[in-house]
Amino acid sequence: MKAALTSTLAVLAMLLGWEALVRFLPVSPDLLAPPSAVLEALGRHPEILLDQGLSTARETALGFLLACVIGAGLGAALSSAALLRRVAMPWVLALQIVPKMALAPLFVVWLGVGAPCRLAFAVFIAFFPVLIGTIAGLAGTDSGALRLCRVLGANWWQTVLRVRLPYAVPQLLAGMKTAATMALLGVVIGEFVTAQQGLGYVVMFAASLGETALVLAAITLLCGIGVVLYGLVLLAELAFARWYGAPMPAGEFG
Amino acid sequence: MPEAPTLIAEAIRFDAVGKTFPTRPVPLRAVESVSFAVRRGEFVAILGPSGCGKSTLLMMAAGLETATEGRLERGGVELVGPHRQTGVMFQDATLLPWLSVLDNVIFPATIRRIPRAKVLEVALRLIETVGLKGFENSRPHELSGGMRQRAAICRALVLDPDLILMDEPFSALDAITRDEMGDVLLDLWQHTQKSAIFVTHSIREAVLLADRVLVMSRRPATVAEELVVPFPRPRTPALADSAEFAAVVAHLRGVIARNMAA
Repeated sequence: MKAALTSTLAVLAMLLGWEALVRFLPVSPDLLAPPSAVLEALGRHPEILLDQGLSTARETALGFLLACVIGAGLGAALSSAALLRRVAMPWVLALQIVPKMALAPLFVVWLGVGAPCRLAFAVFIAFFPVLIGTIAGLAGTDSGALRLCRVLGANWWQTVLRVRLPYAVPQLLAGMKTAATMALLGVVIGEFVTAQQGLGYVVMFAASLGETALVLAAITLLCGIGVVLYGLVLLAELAFARWYGAPMPAGEFG
Repeated sequence: MPEAPTLIAEAIRFDAVGKTFPTRPVPLRAVESVSFAVRRGEFVAILGPSGCGKSTLLMMAAGLETATEGRLERGGVELVGPHRQTGVMFQDATLLPWLSVLDNVIFPATIRRIPRAKVLEVALRLIETVGLKGFENSRPHELSGGMRQRAAICRALVLDPDLILMDEPFSALDAITRDEMGDVLLDLWQHTQKSAIFVTHSIREAVLLADRVLVMSRRPATVAEELVVPFPRPRTPALADSAEFAAVVAHLRGVIARNMAA
């Protein structure tokens, strides 16, 4: 409680300092809008920001979910088939070395300037941590526990559900936390290159007009979306930890 | 799977069993022409130095490894895989960290789809017998190493198997806890007619617990000597302090030393 109070006070102090910087020093409010101006910008265009914010939030959530499904599915497939792993892993890793932002314009060429392009790009940059988390988690199953399953004559499903999955979930959740921030990043980049809608588009558009207050207002909303999504994954993690009831193996991205 | 007829007097039989692992460049010969049988209700200890292949022997008895030569019989029927009536204990307790002690003990029933209510009474009694009463709802990480191994004993016994296989179950414990666990096992076996194979490198454990001790040679493991332990049951931990006990231990130590020198 005391720690939370200290943190809140620190944030308030920083915002006040920022406000003071712009008001009392020769910093142009056109270059760095003060918090009061950002608040005012939020109030000035509520319906635009809400509309564009909802678009971004929707696509981020959908991109995140798809990234989780594809990442976990592909991870499970790669974990269970050594041949597939040998064939696919070099490609998956090579894809990670490519600076993915540089591929964004290609996605426009392939998928046009609509939602499919932004979604695909978000999934493209967000699925990898989930994939790695799934593979690491499934590989992290205690070998003794698997031997126990064999002794007891457990079938494949029982082994997966009762042993492998509980061992894998902490790593999977760690991957999902990273994926949550990556999905938002992917959607914003998608909005930059498609230039049709979304808060990323508002940022670009407002910046080109020198409306720094509006830029910062849009970024504030983006932060909000990111915090909510990350918070949801964190809640899932807390719920799992409560069920698990023991110290969990630390996640790779945790 | 046909049930073993009860008139068969042997719980398990090794018949000229050998095991070679296809390692490279030289195949590893772990076990060579091992023949012995465990009678119903008999407690057999397999004594040998670390890495002599005695664990491989036990894994074959558990149906987790297949013999490359010879054959194993379980209750008169050839053994081809894990057997429903066999309980197994490993060096580590391997409890599932997210399950309570009770749920870990009941885990075999969960896998076999036996209703919880059917085994609950047995599980609770076992937990009490090994001295874990009051810890039913604790998670494994809250227990000491010895307590975890006690829970593992309960798990191996919960489905009332007629044969228990134990692979150096106390080797990860400190010396004091280890003696304590031997006493727990001795106590459990006063009230049971179960057969057991107990792999160990502790001569004291072997002599205190077993009806018969098989001394293994160096790798490839084969039965170098067999000793019928001359102490009647019921036995108490105090037996280990007697002069007769010390004499048997000394004899076995000599046998092992001769084996190592050979």
